Amino acid sequence: MKVALKIWRYDGATGEKALREYEIEAPEEATLLDCLDIIKDRHDGTLAYRKSCRMMICGSCGMRMDGAAVLACKTRMAEIAASGHVPVISAMGNLPVLKDLVVDMTPFWQKIRAVKPWLDTGYVEPPEKEFVVPQAEMDVIHKESLCIMCGCCVSECNSMEADPDFLGPAALAKGFRFVGDPRDRATVERLQAYSDEHGIWDCTRCYFCNERCPKGVDPRDAIAKLGAEAMREGIDSDMGARHAKWFVTSAKTTGWLRETELVPKTQGVVRSLKEIGFAMSLLRRGKVPPPFPPHVAKDVDEARQLYELVEREGHEGARGIVQLEKPLARLERHEAGYEEAAARGPYGPGSFPKPYLPGENESTEEGAA
Amino acid sequence: MRKVAYYKGCLASLSAKELDVATRALAPKVGLELEELESVTCCGAGDIHEAEPDYYLHLNARILAYAEATGTDTLMTVCNVCTLNLRQANHALKGDEALLARVNDNLVSVGAPAYSGSVDVLHFLWLVAAGEGYELLKRAAHRGLQGLKIAPFYGCQILRPSKLLGFDDPDRPESLERIIEACGGEAIDYPAKVKCCGFPIIQAREDVALAELVQPIEQAKEAGADAMVTPCPLCHLSLDAWQSKLRKQTGKDFQMPVLHLSQLIGVAAGLSESELKFKRHVVSVEPVVEKLAV
Ligand code: SF4
Ligand code: SF4
Ligand code: FES
Repeated sequence: MKVALKIWRYDGATGEKALREYEIEAPEEATLLDCLDIIKDRHDGTLAYRKSCRMMICGSCGMRMDGAAVLACKTRMAEIAASGHVPVISAMGNLPVLKDLVVDMTPFWQKIRAVKPWLDTGYVEPPEKEFVVPQAEMDVIHKESLCIMCGCCVSECNSMEADPDFLGPAALAKGFRFVGDPRDRATVERLQAYSDEHGIWDCTRCYFCNERCPKGVDPRDAIAKLGAEAMREGIDSDMGARHAKWFVTSAKTTGWLRETELVPKTQGVVRSLKEIGFAMSLLRRGKVPPPFPPHVAKDVDEARQLYELVEREGHEGARGIVQLEKPLARLERHEAGYEEAAARGPYGPGSFPKPYLPGENESTEEGAA
Repeated sequence: MRKVAYYKGCLASLSAKELDVATRALAPKVGLELEELESVTCCGAGDIHEAEPDYYLHLNARILAYAEATGTDTLMTVCNVCTLNLRQANHALKGDEALLARVNDNLVSVGAPAYSGSVDVLHFLWLVAAGEGYELLKRAAHRGLQGLKIAPFYGCQILRPSKLLGFDDPDRPESLERIIEACGGEAIDYPAKVKCCGFPIIQAREDVALAELVQPIEQAKEAGADAMVTPCPLCHLSLDAWQSKLRKQTGKDFQMPVLHLSQLIGVAAGLSESELKFKRHVVSVEPVVEKLAV
């Protein structure tokens, strides 16, 4: 097939930029990475990009296609080539570009290192017996363990664009990989460190990271798990945590968000008083609903009682999010046509191996508690 | 008329009442009969999902259960955040019998109805951007927008994660553009239309949030937009109410009117000022109204 690509070339030494168009002949099954290889081998040896495994596991080949971060080795070109669309390939965002499609990953690795990505077992000499960890406990960090550190999530992170010091989706997902690990002994210290100014509560919930991650890590959900664990441990003095807590208080008292009290509850009375001028400008437009009498939802008692029930049942913290993962993954498999593909047999068109879902084959595990 | 259960959420009940008023006034013109849910609470935004995730699930299950109890198959939302929260909870409950059973036991024990999983959560935007709703909208928008230049602003949680939302292509959405054009306006294209408005962290990290917020407003202005339109009252609040803070921070006074989706269609459908309630906006919508009056 004929594949046409436009590639943003960049020379870090001179700062020169140019959008070059290439047209190549490639086999039907070619990925974007295969096409770049063909360009480099046969058309233009000066093109720079990273690669290694060619099979979605080393995390080297992150780049943007039409502005969206992808793994070049995961992106098949047949459909795009057939449509006649000429995609624009460029380096990932939120990282300095060195040459063409190669970014400087130094800030990425600095943030990964900052979350202490190693198991803190709390001992120096290994104990005599090995630890046996039940599978169900490791399932809690199943998704985060899938990360290949490609940086695709970071590329479009809206908070990192606005605050370059934000730890960001990859590092925080890595952080949860250890916070959620039953063998780790530094949970509280980690949660405190991750709750600082450029940590958990800096995330604006834009969900670009979940959308882009080629491995299904869903970093935004990992950040929510960190938030949930931090609050469970009482690490909740950050304004972001106080903001979140006020929603819980609102829901169980009046049912609806107590919007007007949100600012002082989040920022503290002193700081919010400084905002009085701004508040008045909103008040004039009815944007500051009076807190009295409170706007109370009908049958709000049910919401109050539910809160107490939920507290007693103890599915709190990160587990409250983890419990949603299996059904949501089933949905994805369903929408990807897994059931039909499985019915067609393993070698037919559109068939693919069954993705691993932890605990799927253990019939007892749900009821075990 | 398509009967739908209407969940207005916190903002449309409180600081964005104008959204509720305009949506109600517009609904019959686009073939929707709204049955408002009364015994419901806040969906928890991203906040309860993060602070008390199991409580988040129960609150949303309860909303879904009350929607189902109205006998309709559709729960209509008017907010991005409500949409993602409810769809996420809905999919999780439908995909896990044991989870649904536990949550239902709890719902019933506090006196709420149980949920069987028959409801689909759809944003108002999706109901009027395709199918019969869209045909009715084209007819309803008789007054037109007279070529007004409108910048569509989607916000995040109606596009991403697309596996839970899935109506539009998350990178190249077109539902708002279709609506703007059906209403006789001209849709402006600009890169930040799919980015974040900063609202979730506007109180806890104001500087970071404002650095996000400035992008869509500035780009819309540069592209010559007369106004912006958004399907999310949270985006609306930051775009409209926090614009004055951008003036302080950047020295630029954008004066960009921001319309709720129901208001934009409402203008084209000839709703009155008492149904549109533009006076409740912080940035004046007067320039838009004047252009249309000519
Ligand atoms: S979370 Fe996903 S996108 Fe981010 S670095 Fe890991 S694998 Fe790549
Ligand atoms: S959801 Fe948070 S971490 Fe993920 S891309 Fe957006 S701001 Fe970054
Ligand atoms: S080359 Fe290893 S992930 Fe693409």
